[in-house]
Amino acid sequence: MTGFAGSHGDSGERRRRSDASPVITELIDEATVQGIAEEAWSALVGDEEFLVPLPGGLPDDAVSSWVEIVGPWNGAVVLTTGRSTAKELTRCLLAEHAPPVLDDEDVEDAMGELANVVGGNVKAVLPGPSVLGLPEVGTAPEPGLPADTCRVDLLWRGQSLTITVQGSAGVLDEQKNGVPL
Amino acid sequence: MRALVIDDSRAMRRIVSGILEGLGYEVQQAGHGREGLDVLDGGWLPDLVCVDWNMPVMDGLQFVSAVRSNPAWRQVTIMMVTSESEHTQIVRALAAGAHEYMIKPFTADAFRDKLALLGMLPEEVAL
Amino acid sequence: MTLTATSFDWVRALVHKESAIVLQPGKEYLVEARLLPIARQMGIGDVSSFVESVRTRPNPDHNRRIVEALTTNETSWFRDGDPFTALTSTVMPALLAARGPNERLQIWSAACSSGQEPYTIAMLLEDAIPNAASRVSITATDLSREMVERTKAGRFTQLEVNRGLPAPMLVRHFTRAGSEWEVAPQLRRMITASECNLAAPLPRMGPFDVVYLRNVLIYFDLPTKQAILRRVRELMRPDGWLFLGAAETTLGVDDSWERVVVGRSSAYRPLKGN
Repeated sequence: MTGFAGSHGDSGERRRRSDASPVITELIDEATVQGIAEEAWSALVGDEEFLVPLPGGLPDDAVSSWVEIVGPWNGAVVLTTGRSTAKELTRCLLAEHAPPVLDDEDVEDAMGELANVVGGNVKAVLPGPSVLGLPEVGTAPEPGLPADTCRVDLLWRGQSLTITVQGSAGVLDEQKNGVPL
Repeated sequence: MRALVIDDSRAMRRIVSGILEGLGYEVQQAGHGREGLDVLDGGWLPDLVCVDWNMPVMDGLQFVSAVRSNPAWRQVTIMMVTSESEHTQIVRALAAGAHEYMIKPFTADAFRDKLALLGMLPEEVAL
Repeated sequence: MTLTATSFDWVRALVHKESAIVLQPGKEYLVEARLLPIARQMGIGDVSSFVESVRTRPNPDHNRRIVEALTTNETSWFRDGDPFTALTSTVMPALLAARGPNERLQIWSAACSSGQEPYTIAMLLEDAIPNAASRVSITATDLSREMVERTKAGRFTQLEVNRGLPAPMLVRHFTRAGSEWEVAPQLRRMITASECNLAAPLPRMGPFDVVYLRNVLIYFDLPTKQAILRRVRELMRPDGWLFLGAAETTLGVDDSWERVVVGRSSAYRPLKGN
């Protein structure tokens, strides 16, 4: 783990599980995450739907959905987008089954399922065996170390969407407190 | 033809049910494996079950094992429909007794292709 | 199912006229599914109403969209099923009996695209014949260099392996490579892939025991179809087998073939004396 100890001012004796926990940037890259998202969008949102790798700037009312991954690598796959984009995604996902008025439950359910689909496919690229958590929706969990974060900023229909594969923040806290993992 | 669709996501249940109903299936839904078993216990025997993996209360793998261990439900065809996509996961599902495995994300055409493999498309039934 | 019989028949006739592809009865659900998005884009709620409006106010652009939506050649594994199961159930046993033990059987996938067809064949043979790689070689050709490279690589996306590939075969013959799936090396070794233009004189290949020439002839006019079938026959063993696409036939094109029923599909064999 080069550069790790120095940047956080510890003695370098980072305690880890018996198998050294890798950081996400060693395991997956942005292009692979984007490819997974593109396949999900093509199949579920619409086959003419494109994701453009450009940062847009998320609105203040952004909503996140995520799934946790527990295994040789621990973290979460988080989707974040504006509330109105989330609604539009829901409508596309449900297609002809979309009710005339979408309620919060519909949107949370759809966003959760998108996190499940992207998360499950990301998990399959990571070392296993690992367990995928059930989708959650709300305020995204705190990311962990910058080195343990893989972030992809995308534009869908000109609207901002971010996918983050982020290691657990817990590692950082425990490491600061010297608590054995 | 009857189908049972089990997924904790309402959106996914709607999508899968939509494809099946478009093929003429009568469809029931359940939100997790235990609810799915309740449908079968109640005497409504589907020809096909499409079941997710990760769900609360009882997951899809446990559901598959439960169905396969009941001789009365021997005729039920089971396809897992899930974002779990490691080689080892698919092997586990097939070993537990699932007949087919649909990786999410999937298109409606791909879903129908899988049904064709299972002999569960309407023309197949008509023969 | 809202699609009326009249609407379905009109769509079938249009598709056949524009593409020579035949929509079998029973495919109403496909017409519903493929045309509904187009109908909705035009503000029409159901497919029958959409078809009625196109039928009563002819519009070449709408016709083209309908035909494209229904004839999109999405490559899948085991396309139409029977022409491949026929290989292991009927064709290979016959050929293995007819050939000597050291003779390598040769199979040609003549429009291999991204490789699903030749690898479907390779998987079936690997599962059916011990030491398949020593008994069979598969030649895969395509007009497109890109497709030839894809076939050589044997790598497929998640969406691609979802299309008609039985899960037991996926786990038996593929490993994961990142977010994609890769065919096992021994199957890749069974296949030689190269560029080939069917509409031009063919390179020296074969002689082939089995040829898959599926959903390619429909794109050519009659004289070219005839030339292709003649060139293909010249590269085949006299007791070889030719498989065409589900809606294709040599009838009315080339009478030097005998149509043989194999399972629920047909194969074509060179007529004796030709």
